[in-house]
Amino acid sequence: MKMLRRALVALSLAGTIAGLLRVKGKGGVPPQEGGWREVSVPPR
Amino acid sequence: MIAEPGPTPIVGVVGCGVTGSRVMALLTQQHVRVAAFDAVRSVAVACARPVGAVVVDDVDDLTVCDAVVLCHPAPHLDLVALLFERGTPVVSVGDDLGDLSRLIGLHDQAARSGVPVVIGAGMAPGLSGLLARYLANQLDQLDELHVAIHGTAGPACARQHHDALGDTALGWHDGGWTEPPGGSGRDLVWFPEPVGAHDCYRAALGDPLLLQRSFPSVGRVSARVSATRRDRLTARLPMLTPPHASGGLGSVRVEARGAGPGGERITLITGAAGTTAELTAFASVATTLQLLRVGAAGGVHSLGDVALEPLDLLHQATSLGLKLQEFTGVGRATSW
Repeated sequence: MKMLRRALVALSLAGTIAGLLRVKGKGGVPPQEGGWREVSVPPR
Repeated sequence: MIAEPGPTPIVGVVGCGVTGSRVMALLTQQHVRVAAFDAVRSVAVACARPVGAVVVDDVDDLTVCDAVVLCHPAPHLDLVALLFERGTPVVSVGDDLGDLSRLIGLHDQAARSGVPVVIGAGMAPGLSGLLARYLANQLDQLDELHVAIHGTAGPACARQHHDALGDTALGWHDGGWTEPPGGSGRDLVWFPEPVGAHDCYRAALGDPLLLQRSFPSVGRVSARVSATRRDRLTARLPMLTPPHASGGLGSVRVEARGAGPGGERITLITGAAGTTAELTAFASVATTLQLLRVGAAGGVHSLGDVALEPLDLLHQATSLGLKLQEFTGVGRATSW
């Protein structure tokens, strides 16, 4: 019973931390310079 | 070389889903007559009627066409074999890695019979090969090619991508094939606007197989597909939710690394965005029109192959409506 309680506490803690990271995390950083521009391809 | 087509060529289209219907519409816009076949006749009729195409009851009826475009779900192998044995040029948009591998095995047979068979003529592989050739021609030495794709066309395409993410990937690395697990190798990829940035992962995609064949001297080739956390988690399970019936916005991005005339390192990036079915249609219809107009040598080709004149194909695709974009800025080294 004690083991089960500890497992549940550990799981809920892990879930809370993962949730916080998921919501507050910044993830990857997209390129800050440059962009896309349309180009034309001339016939060969 | 294929025979000179009549004044108004006729092209067969197999598979009348999201991609097939777009291919039919684009072909008829180019004043090409279309004969459609689908395993479900009512689907073929519904797609063919608005564009004035005729519907055939048996796929064998398409062997008299000037060319046949295969837009149905994989495998394409048996139908490709049947068509080129009857002397009908084929354009296949299939992207299943196993199917592509087996189709390449038909090369000698197709070359002997003098019938051109173009495989991987969709968005990726397909448009990706054209973009790779476009970039390679701007480099003195090509070392690496990295492809990233986003989006799917119809439901069959979505299922194919789902399976690919859970399957073993394929990559070319310093002269040898690597088989990393699908869903590994996360990288944030900035696709052309309006798609933007998405996390991409390795998957069982056909691009490395075909690009390495088109560019035998290249050192590294990789391909990644965009996916969400849920996609990765459920990749090895059956699809939990039905795919979107009409597909959506897609994009292909190709990064080429190599050297300039003075040996300086150069990274060039180009791509295109639009609905996935539309991008696929641009590549496959441009290829079909080229086969009708100038033909091609017998054998199995992919769109990056010099034999298909990829720059002419790309020009043709842009004249059909493809908007090609290039990344302006400093390409930063990624983990690829």
